[in-house]
Amino acid sequence: MAGMDIDGNVEEAARRVQVRFVTKLKAPFKAPPSSIAIPSNLTRLGLSSIVNNLLKAGKDDWNPEPFDFLIDGELVRMSLEEFLLAKGISAEKILEIEYIRAVAPRKEEEPSLHDDWVSAVDGSNSKFVLTGCYDGFGRIWKAAGSCTHLLEGHTDAITSVCVVKPRVAQNGADQIVATASKDRTLRLWKFDADESSDQIKRIRAFKILHGHNASVQSVAANPAGDMVCSGSWDSQIALWQASGSDTGDVVSVKKRKKNADEEDPQVEEEAKSTLVGHTQCVSSVVWSQDETIYSASWDHTIRRWDVEMGKDSLNLYCDKVVNCLDVGGEGSSLIAAGGSDPVLRIWDPRKPGSSAPVYQFSSHSSWISACKWHEKSWFHLVSASYDGKVMLWDLRTAWPLAVIDTHKDKVLCVDWWKGESVISGGADSKLCISSDVCVL
Amino acid sequence: MKVPRRSARQKNLQKDAEKEEAINLLEQKENTEEVVERSKDEETAVEEENFVESPVVSDDDDEDFSDDDGSLGESGSEDSHLSGEEDVFVSSDGEDSFDAKSDDVSGNGASGSGRDETEHGKDDDAESDDSRTVVEESDSSEDEVDPRNTVGDVPLKWYKEEEHIGYDLAGKKIKKKERQDKLDSFLASVDDSKNWRKIYDEYNDEEVELTKEEVKVIKRLLKGKAPHADFDPHAPYVDWFSWDDSKHPLSSAPEPKRRFIPSKWESKKVVQYVRAIRKGLIKFDEKPKEEPSAYLLWGDDSSAIDRQGLAYIPAPKPKLPGHEESYNPSLEYIPTQEEINSYQLMFEEDRPKFIPKRFTSLRNVPAYEKAVNENFGRCLDLYLCPRARKKRINIDPESLKPKLPSRKDLRPYPTSCYLEYKGHKGPVVSISTESTGQWIASGSSDGTVRIWEVETGRCIRIWELGESVSHVSWNPLPERPILAVCMGEDVYLLNTGLGNAEEQKSLEELLRVETPSTPDDSDNDKTAVNWVQDDKHGGIRLKHFKTVSSVEWHRKGDYFSMLMPSDILHLI
Repeated sequence: MAGMDIDGNVEEAARRVQVRFVTKLKAPFKAPPSSIAIPSNLTRLGLSSIVNNLLKAGKDDWNPEPFDFLIDGELVRMSLEEFLLAKGISAEKILEIEYIRAVAPRKEEEPSLHDDWVSAVDGSNSKFVLTGCYDGFGRIWKAAGSCTHLLEGHTDAITSVCVVKPRVAQNGADQIVATASKDRTLRLWKFDADESSDQIKRIRAFKILHGHNASVQSVAANPAGDMVCSGSWDSQIALWQASGSDTGDVVSVKKRKKNADEEDPQVEEEAKSTLVGHTQCVSSVVWSQDETIYSASWDHTIRRWDVEMGKDSLNLYCDKVVNCLDVGGEGSSLIAAGGSDPVLRIWDPRKPGSSAPVYQFSSHSSWISACKWHEKSWFHLVSASYDGKVMLWDLRTAWPLAVIDTHKDKVLCVDWWKGESVISGGADSKLCISSDVCVL
Repeated sequence: MKVPRRSARQKNLQKDAEKEEAINLLEQKENTEEVVERSKDEETAVEEENFVESPVVSDDDDEDFSDDDGSLGESGSEDSHLSGEEDVFVSSDGEDSFDAKSDDVSGNGASGSGRDETEHGKDDDAESDDSRTVVEESDSSEDEVDPRNTVGDVPLKWYKEEEHIGYDLAGKKIKKKERQDKLDSFLASVDDSKNWRKIYDEYNDEEVELTKEEVKVIKRLLKGKAPHADFDPHAPYVDWFSWDDSKHPLSSAPEPKRRFIPSKWESKKVVQYVRAIRKGLIKFDEKPKEEPSAYLLWGDDSSAIDRQGLAYIPAPKPKLPGHEESYNPSLEYIPTQEEINSYQLMFEEDRPKFIPKRFTSLRNVPAYEKAVNENFGRCLDLYLCPRARKKRINIDPESLKPKLPSRKDLRPYPTSCYLEYKGHKGPVVSISTESTGQWIASGSSDGTVRIWEVETGRCIRIWELGESVSHVSWNPLPERPILAVCMGEDVYLLNTGLGNAEEQKSLEELLRVETPSTPDDSDNDKTAVNWVQDDKHGGIRLKHFKTVSSVEWHRKGDYFSMLMPSDILHLI
């Protein structure tokens, strides 16, 4: 097996390097750990075909699979020779190349059609996908194309949605979701995620959160699932009680609205507290830990708030208006943000003495509308842009792992679903689901 | 009657008198009394001689007093002076002067020969003294000695024609003495060696002979010394006051409280000083600068720069003359004829200014022909020389050129189109952003006004106004989302409906309140504006008579102005 040539026409002049392929993947992807000599001018494609051949040798019914290759924790994106040269790695020793399954969608689901632009999407619960739409309705999708619930009540476009208590309430009976809208309110909805019916069930909010003076731009729930926070065009971040209607009922019985055709009580509630500090629209909020809220604003800053103190403990300045924000990655502390330029920036607030971004990804060609870390991986994130593309990123390389180009218009929102799908909504009123991404 | 009393006194006092030769002025009184006695005693002894020896003085018969004085001695004088005598002893005041003199006499009294004259003179002197004191001490002078003449302080010329010189105590006329022949008196004066001591007392019409002591006193007075030789003007000062703390203080008042309280004023002063020291206004151990008393007149001026600061430039000094400027320089300084000729070939600037010449003597040196020129030049030099140091920095001019910034640094500038707001069918004429930046309004010549969401480029609202829009403008107040649109001759105030419910309500009221005023305005043809409610678009329509080209809101959002091409600005 050693010294096997892939192609017969490889020039003898090409230098050869001794490599050994290793992997952390499970059984069907395990290649024999012997070292082989391969020409140094091979690219990722060539390496991938070698590995596939190796695997095919062990197993006859092998479907070729794209792989990605890591040398010293860096993804190989050029020919092996150039890479070794650029990194200053000696070609004399036996090179250990780790291969992973390429992170790229292998399957495109049928797009789920909406009546208007899809402005928000949340796939943090693996049982359903929650979308917000410019027609003012929120939708619950069981799978691609199958809408189960319609959340009606908002009088203006929904700007942001979030699933409250995504991990705890797994039984699905009383799944709570929150939506933020341009009608200056947030609404909390309760539905049974497990029930299945052919008909689309229309549900009404059990709680309406009043208090913002302008369009609510984003909403996020805390990990415990009893509070939500929202960022608005009035430059404030409001914290709301999200837990069941019991407290809300007590607080505001008088405000109860009676609808003629609906017997569901709707409770109106006001903000528990507000975090004031931003001077422009708060475009995005993330409640990553119980005491920490990250917020991005059009005033070019990203702030970290201490919920107890009500003060910002970190203030990152960004050159551009920030439109989207997510916290994740290594130790859930890297901040990814995109804004009014095509660059996706990643800050590490733990790095002392510098507020410059540690990573910048600039393959998009228009504003970035959404970005999301993968829940489990430290390296992967997805971003959406007005140029109609969704890109998958790995921190270990500066090039996008994959570009999903299914949208015809601006992509307004993106999220991971079930850890292996990318869901995105856009101005073409479609919710696209790209599955089999194979992260990890 | 008086005698025994006096003798008793005499006994008492005489002992002391013998002992104390130098008598202190402070104890004058006792001594004077004693001296008087003693002098009187001596008088008695001397008087006989006097009587014999000096006829010149005492030959006056017509005067009782002198007779008594001379012949009768003590008792006689005693009688004649009865009235005065008593006073002599009683009034110490008057006696002082008298007795002081008699004391002198007694002190020097041992000189035998001049005894009678002294005595006599003393007596007269007492009178002259009296006359003196009449002037000085008018109150006691009368009592002191028997004033023979009682006319008082009147001009004596009044009695010049008279036979008497005045009146005595009894009121009798005192006759003038018979004038001696001038020749006789002259001869007498020549004979008498003591004549120079005699003076004529015009008031009492008698001659007085001064004693030696009196002359001495006069001499001392003339010298400006104290009249008495034994008076020491520079006696050591005896400090009679005891400065030690006495057991009993003069005042038994308790010490006032302020002696124990630290003075506020003082503490302020101290604080002032402390501050001054801290600021360095007060410095310690600073030696005064030593100014050199002499300096080099022709020395280098570089040290002067240190003295006066950087900006000071000393006036330039002319070059000092050297050997060649001498009138008789050594031969080697004198240029040869060839050299002088070669100077002519040189440029004028390069030519030496001075060509040494030789003169045999200083007298042959002619006047310096360029003196005036050079003085003038030097004056110009001093006058025109800028006395300020110009700071010049050597800078590479290339470095002054601003560096061309890289294009990346010049951002933000529009480099690429990220968002397009698509929808207008005609050219977009005007856009305006809302104050918060959430919305953008655009007016197009296709007759529509659209509101866009800035973030996503979504069209929120469309008004079909039907006429080409020339200008749109948002109200600057975020809580009053009114859009002013210029369209032809009209201005629309459009309610965009973007505020929350309450704001919307107030806005609708605001935009409706204007309606009643519409008829009033329209009645008046002269008004430029007609306010018309426009329900179709949800706003007000302001009709004008001319085309409105622009509309601008006041910063506070209460007023707005419109611009018409007729150059009339309307403020509403």
